[in-house]
Amino acid sequence: MQAQRWGDRLSALLRRGPLLAVLVLYTLYTTLPFLWVGAMSLRTTAEISADHYGLPSPAHWGKFRAAWVDSNFAGYFWNSTVVVVSAVAIVTILGAMAAHALARYKFPGNRLLYFILFSSIIFPPQIVLLSLFQILVNYNLYNTRAGLILVYVSLQLPLTVFILEAFFARIPQDLFEAARIDGYTDFQIFLRIVVPVGMPAIVTTVILNFVHLWNEYLFAVVLVSDEDLRTLPVGIQRFMGDYFQDIGMIATGVMIAVIPVIVVYTFFSEKLIQGMTAGAVK
Amino acid sequence: MATVQLQDVCKRYGGVGSLAAVQDVSLTVADGEFMVLLGPSGCGKSTTLRMIAGLESISDGRLAIDGRPMNAVPAKDRDIAMVFQSYALYPHMTVAENLSFGLKRRGTPRAEIERRVNETAEMLGLTEYLARRPAALSGGQRQRVALGRAIVREPKVFLFDEPLSNLDAALRVATRNELTRLHRRLGATMIYVTHDQVEAMTMGSRICVMNRGRIAQVGAPLDVYRNPADTFVARFLGSPPMNLLPARLHRTPTGARVHVAGSEFPLTRWSDAALANIDEVTFGIRPEDMHLLPAAAPPQPAISGTVASVEPLGAETLLLVDTKGGEVTARLHRDTAARPGETVRLAVPASAAYLFDPDGRAIAADRVPQDEALN
Repeated sequence: MQAQRWGDRLSALLRRGPLLAVLVLYTLYTTLPFLWVGAMSLRTTAEISADHYGLPSPAHWGKFRAAWVDSNFAGYFWNSTVVVVSAVAIVTILGAMAAHALARYKFPGNRLLYFILFSSIIFPPQIVLLSLFQILVNYNLYNTRAGLILVYVSLQLPLTVFILEAFFARIPQDLFEAARIDGYTDFQIFLRIVVPVGMPAIVTTVILNFVHLWNEYLFAVVLVSDEDLRTLPVGIQRFMGDYFQDIGMIATGVMIAVIPVIVVYTFFSEKLIQGMTAGAVK
Repeated sequence: MATVQLQDVCKRYGGVGSLAAVQDVSLTVADGEFMVLLGPSGCGKSTTLRMIAGLESISDGRLAIDGRPMNAVPAKDRDIAMVFQSYALYPHMTVAENLSFGLKRRGTPRAEIERRVNETAEMLGLTEYLARRPAALSGGQRQRVALGRAIVREPKVFLFDEPLSNLDAALRVATRNELTRLHRRLGATMIYVTHDQVEAMTMGSRICVMNRGRIAQVGAPLDVYRNPADTFVARFLGSPPMNLLPARLHRTPTGARVHVAGSEFPLTRWSDAALANIDEVTFGIRPEDMHLLPAAAPPQPAISGTVASVEPLGAETLLLVDTKGGEVTARLHRDTAARPGETVRLAVPASAAYLFDPDGRAIAADRVPQDEALN
């Protein structure tokens, strides 16, 4: 009896073995670099040069204080927070409204508008960089947080509308009609039916946009030059010189930058999975 | 409670001149009446209901509830409640929130909302599910919540859009009875859309049969069944449907006779005047009105043919017979012993025959038949 049970377990393990092996390998592949950077963030550049893969012994926790206070990371962090939270909030509100209108209302040019909006996704960001730079200069928005927020909104809006429109279009028409008969206006229906029902998709876009914009470097480095307005990814660059790179401090900066992303992801991950698998199961 | 009046109501998608989904529908639903709109898919019954609800605009014609014109009144101000085929329950709200959602919007006092929600929940056996979300309910329970959402509003008119379609057969019968009881209890005006003739026959005070966007016939269920206005209604109501066979009239000094499926019958229910100027007709007979003549039966007019198949259904037996006029279905006693390939004769009672003119319209019988059988 006991032998039979062990035999069953062994055959189950052998059947699932290849899958487990792939999962373990992939987990190591994605986690180890992160752990490596985490270890480096507590070591000095000299220690890292001596032994690339060593453990932080002793752990230099003071590097975080040094980065935060002495290297203006508090300022970068604040700039990133203001710019990214504002941009994500605007993108989410505008995107949800636009997606609802495109998914729900029949009007001439609906699909054309959707196509134009969506087609902007295919252009690489470098193409629009110069023209955006010029536009921001013309409107006195160059080197301002507002300018960067506007650019981020325009960059992320198409993908947001695309994801939300697909989700909202699957909300049954009957729900809207029932709410209409219950006495609700179009805007109230959007707020009280579409937003709560579409929350998994909305949270998905919030996370994707937050992570993407929090790590965004190209537009931030071109459109903002003032030291006091720099965001975190650009701030980390301070530790890179032409002839010397302060790897230890870069790792510390990266760890500071990555903490909000982990917090946001952990907080919303359940909704994210719901959003990504919506439609897969009824 | 209220009267609903539709007068020459039309619905066109795509402006004047485009094909009408609903055309010239005129119908009055009396106060407290249970009116069933019945017809096949695409006949315009749901569109008509949605126009009454205010979910579709009315292209032409007039809609009034209690005499008040409603064409331009938005859905929320028509004082109607609708139960959808999909139930349309708000998935993010509990049963209690679903029930009270409409009342909150109308500014009903909190205590009154609570009273009505509890009363409705009790009436429908939903009290123990008030804190649950729709996803945690069975199909039947969801259906009751949808019903409760309409009841709790105490509207002038209840509209139902095929509300039983998603239920299994047993639950459908139970809910059908529940709805009928509810109608008796509330005495409310109800308009119910279905393609299921059993629902229509058992629930409706009156039924309105629709075909291709127009009303084919309105009347009490049994009246419509017994006196169909045209071949469409004749075949749509009844399962198996009425047998329709091409036939020819012969006028003789003793009266008109009909030649159908190789046989000839006298027509005792129609006067010569009723059949004037008509030669080609469609002869109709319901499957349950025919009976099998034994081989030893004395010669008498009957439709003869070869048995194509026998379908014993337990309570009855269906016989499909190939005749010279086409296939005929007869609903016979369960012990019928006919076998495929056998030649049989099916007798037709005089009172059960129907005639339709070349346009498919029923030719009204204007005489009482003297015998039960045609001879």
